[in-house]
Amino acid sequence: MTVKLKRHYWRQRLFFCMVLLLMITSTQVVAQSTYTVSGKISDIKNGETLFGASVFLEGTSIGVVTNEYGFYSLTAPEGKYTLLVTFMGYTDIQQEINLTQNQQFNFEISEASTQLDEVEVIADEPERAILRKPEMSVLKMNIETVKQMPVVLGEVDILKSLQMLPGVTNNGEGTGGFHVRGGAGDQNLVLLDEAIIYNTSHMFGFFSVFNADAIKDVKLYKGGIPARYGGRVSSVLDVRQKDGNSKRFTATGGIGIISSRLALEAPLFKEKGSFLIAGRRSYADLLLKAAGEDNSVSFYDLNLKTNYKINTNNRLFLSGYFGRDAFELGENFSSSYGNSTANLRWNHIFNDKLFSNLSAIYSKYDYELGITSAEFDWVSSITNYNLKYDLKYYFSDTFKLDFGASGIHYEFDPGEIIPTTETSSVNPLILDKKKALETGLYVNAEHKLTEKLTAQYGLRYSAFSRLGGQPITEYANNQPVVYNEDLGIYERGEAIGETVYEKGDAIKTFGNLEPRASLAYTLNDNSSLKAGFSRVAQYIHLLSNTSSATPLDVWTPSGQYIDPQLSNQYALGYFRNFKNTAYSMEAEIYYKNTDNRIDYIDGSDLIGQNTIETEILKGESRAYGLELLFRKNEGKFTGWISYTLSKSEQRTPGGNAGGLGINDGNWYNTPYDRTHDVSISGSYRLNDKWSFGTNLVFQTGRPVTYPNGQYEYEGVSIASYSDRNSDRLPAYHRLDLSVNYKPNRKPNAKLKGEWVLGIYNAYNRKNAASVSFGQNIETGANEATRTAIFGIVPSITYNFKF
Amino acid sequence: MKNYIKPIIALFTVILTCCTDVIDVDVQTDTLRLVVEASLDWEKGTTGNDQVITLRTSTPFFDTERTNVTGAEVNVTNNATGEVFRFTDQNDGTYTTSTFQPQLFATYTLEIVYNGERYVAEDTMNPVPNITDIYQDTEDGFDDEAIELHIVFTDFEDEGDNYLFKFERPQDLLPTLETGDDEFINGNEVDWWYEIDDDEDEEIKPLLPGDVVNISMHGISRSYFNYMDIVIDQMGGVGIFEATPVDVRGNCINTTNPDNYAHGYFRVTETNRVSYTVE
Repeated sequence: MTVKLKRHYWRQRLFFCMVLLLMITSTQVVAQSTYTVSGKISDIKNGETLFGASVFLEGTSIGVVTNEYGFYSLTAPEGKYTLLVTFMGYTDIQQEINLTQNQQFNFEISEASTQLDEVEVIADEPERAILRKPEMSVLKMNIETVKQMPVVLGEVDILKSLQMLPGVTNNGEGTGGFHVRGGAGDQNLVLLDEAIIYNTSHMFGFFSVFNADAIKDVKLYKGGIPARYGGRVSSVLDVRQKDGNSKRFTATGGIGIISSRLALEAPLFKEKGSFLIAGRRSYADLLLKAAGEDNSVSFYDLNLKTNYKINTNNRLFLSGYFGRDAFELGENFSSSYGNSTANLRWNHIFNDKLFSNLSAIYSKYDYELGITSAEFDWVSSITNYNLKYDLKYYFSDTFKLDFGASGIHYEFDPGEIIPTTETSSVNPLILDKKKALETGLYVNAEHKLTEKLTAQYGLRYSAFSRLGGQPITEYANNQPVVYNEDLGIYERGEAIGETVYEKGDAIKTFGNLEPRASLAYTLNDNSSLKAGFSRVAQYIHLLSNTSSATPLDVWTPSGQYIDPQLSNQYALGYFRNFKNTAYSMEAEIYYKNTDNRIDYIDGSDLIGQNTIETEILKGESRAYGLELLFRKNEGKFTGWISYTLSKSEQRTPGGNAGGLGINDGNWYNTPYDRTHDVSISGSYRLNDKWSFGTNLVFQTGRPVTYPNGQYEYEGVSIASYSDRNSDRLPAYHRLDLSVNYKPNRKPNAKLKGEWVLGIYNAYNRKNAASVSFGQNIETGANEATRTAIFGIVPSITYNFKF
Repeated sequence: MKNYIKPIIALFTVILTCCTDVIDVDVQTDTLRLVVEASLDWEKGTTGNDQVITLRTSTPFFDTERTNVTGAEVNVTNNATGEVFRFTDQNDGTYTTSTFQPQLFATYTLEIVYNGERYVAEDTMNPVPNITDIYQDTEDGFDDEAIELHIVFTDFEDEGDNYLFKFERPQDLLPTLETGDDEFINGNEVDWWYEIDDDEDEEIKPLLPGDVVNISMHGISRSYFNYMDIVIDQMGGVGIFEATPVDVRGNCINTTNPDNYAHGYFRVTETNRVSYTVE
């Protein structure tokens, strides 16, 4: 058996190499002498490298955009050119070059507006429709735009801002995570400086873990996920921290109702390096404690980044994040959770055409619960070590190649009970710890086929080994879940023994080829058509049978009983700029289906569950939709209108367990299904002092399960429930407003302050986060109770910079 | 274990329930079904001969009327001995017998014939350990100022015991039901506490001196535990951080027309019943 597996594996490797070879050879056409110009683009003010700046040769179609580290490389035939560097919001730079040899040019460009951190009147480059690149289904958000948007309680929140764009939703206020194109929260790969973030929320989802002061840029891939990413089927959210000001010391901060924050940046080693350290802390707990309250909720986080330039071709980066939520109820209950990450990176430029980055990454999420009265602690965690090597080869002006490899070692600790006293009536317990190794190899080409047609195509090969060192339960007839014909319910299977796998053994191994491809066809200077396909495999799953993820949900790897999720996504798009990019429009349609998506049997119990396989059935999900985005990019008034029409469904047949399955094997709505989703966001800049922002949101209500009858039993009215997710919460809508005021300041004053006044949910709509059904305690009559989290919420924040 | 963690999830919700209100909602209406409340509880120290089974029909969710079922035939059989106990229709929805013979570990079958359809259900009588102590305290529980009751018992040595607790304070309209199993406490002396949290909105008072609490503790089968576990979870309504509600199925099978299954449950249990007056 093992031999077979290996042969299969090698065959795939071989195939992979052949594809690579084919792609390289297919482009070696012209032998005319060409030269390369390469270098870095950064901001003159703070030395931050710029991601996505365009560098091109005027009068030709030869051009490139800078990568995540600000690096560019372009190749052209011998000759005299004008090199043009543009980045919206920045002043263009021109450089005459005589291309007779390979050359290096580093550019420092300055922001168009003379004053620092003024409202950008012109949207950034990434916010306009990008026509020539095949990249589609991507949302980029400028951190300055995020900071200008009205938010609840004045807490700037990247995740909430992304939800204003098409295809991105959440599961209601006060719930964590986000959903992309009808996908589940655990199907998003969230990266902070390449490290995986397992839980993106603070305070159960009121706020996100990203401190905007420490973030440089945010990119969300809703589809067309490039081959260098893998492991989650729905989306990739790539968040990158600032490198830190390499020119001078700066401090940025803010004082708000919920939290205060401070970020310090400064050069290091005579401008050979720089650092950023940013902290944020909430203070509701301090106030509650001062008020003599026993209960408290708090969070804090710390972002760190430093880099050191060894020489022109070598640079080191070290970044870290540490965040924690703590929550206490009286003296008896305490709970805390958080992410910690660290990443050491080495940028190495082999030559003017070959850029590389090696990363060693650590990431952990853990959850702790202490119950004093019952005398025990509960802890669970997921830890991973990740080594990855990415290279980019700027082969010619028509062909660029990305390739690399990665390996992630996971350790899952699904839960331990530790009695805290000798007299505790709770016995110690350790759920089986699990280990796994996920590896990936990829190659991706960006290939300009003709003047009008550009393709991006690639392949990722991913493999996953569930490692031994634990027992696996075996079930009668190999059925962890069994359908009870008589009662019409799914029940846990009968355990008949267990197999112990030694540490060196692999319990189960999976391998998948994941092709990715997209095409951009330029119709004219202002419009283009794009099409994309991507196949992605996901090997780890977040177990949650609640309508919203909670911090105690645990991750579990694929293995004997859980197969990897496999999704195929197809998308088509039309992109157009109007009036010389003053306006832009993006329209996309997509269809995606995911195999092996699990759902939970009625009455499933996931807490402290060692045998998850007895609680789940394997199904499939599909989602499709239309997304429209219309933006106004220039002028005093900027903003966008976004509309999504979509469907997201799941089908879970009984399969091996027998029976028809969940909901009789019929398709049912996933909790992430939103038929209509409209978001309007606008900002108006009156003058240098005053600017205004607004958001308007309308969404179809979330699918939920409501009662369809009642009966009396044990003196209580018991509800019977209708089919899974066959009802809906009332529609969600709200309006937010904000005003930014920058007081008069002397031109030379170091301190620059700004007041932000906001009103969230201005017309005080009571949006239902949930509707629960129960008996009125006095009359005994059944009633529906709505929980609305935020009514009208005014806020005030003071931001400063010096 | 779960019994400790579940309240935590509920507490997440409590923090969020800053703003709840009662609203009008349209709900679907299922076909009306037979509801079986057949709880044959053998209270320790009694003969257990007198037993009642109640039959009703389900109603649309917001209806307040209860509909009793009369004219059904109701029998219980001891599977091992074949002895049949006939329950007499009292024409008010209840069916009674005074000849039931309880026997630990015996499996019984309930048979109901109603509207020309036959329903059957099976359950096994499980023992319950003696309550060794009941006392009150304020230290434990969610609120360290509120009085909580403690029930002390020693779990049986073999793993796999399941319990149902019912706490009733006569002035309250609704009882409190709790399930427990010995998954994490097998063979230990168990201190099970019960507390009523002060709720100003609902005008619920915590336990106060002079309050009487009627307690029953049943030894139950695993399948009944699974049933009650879901019923109890969903009882007060289901909040955002709780499992999506499901239509819970009891053990009464309609053998004539399986789709027309009955709600409710046929249980046989050994039971402790005690009353405690708070000091």
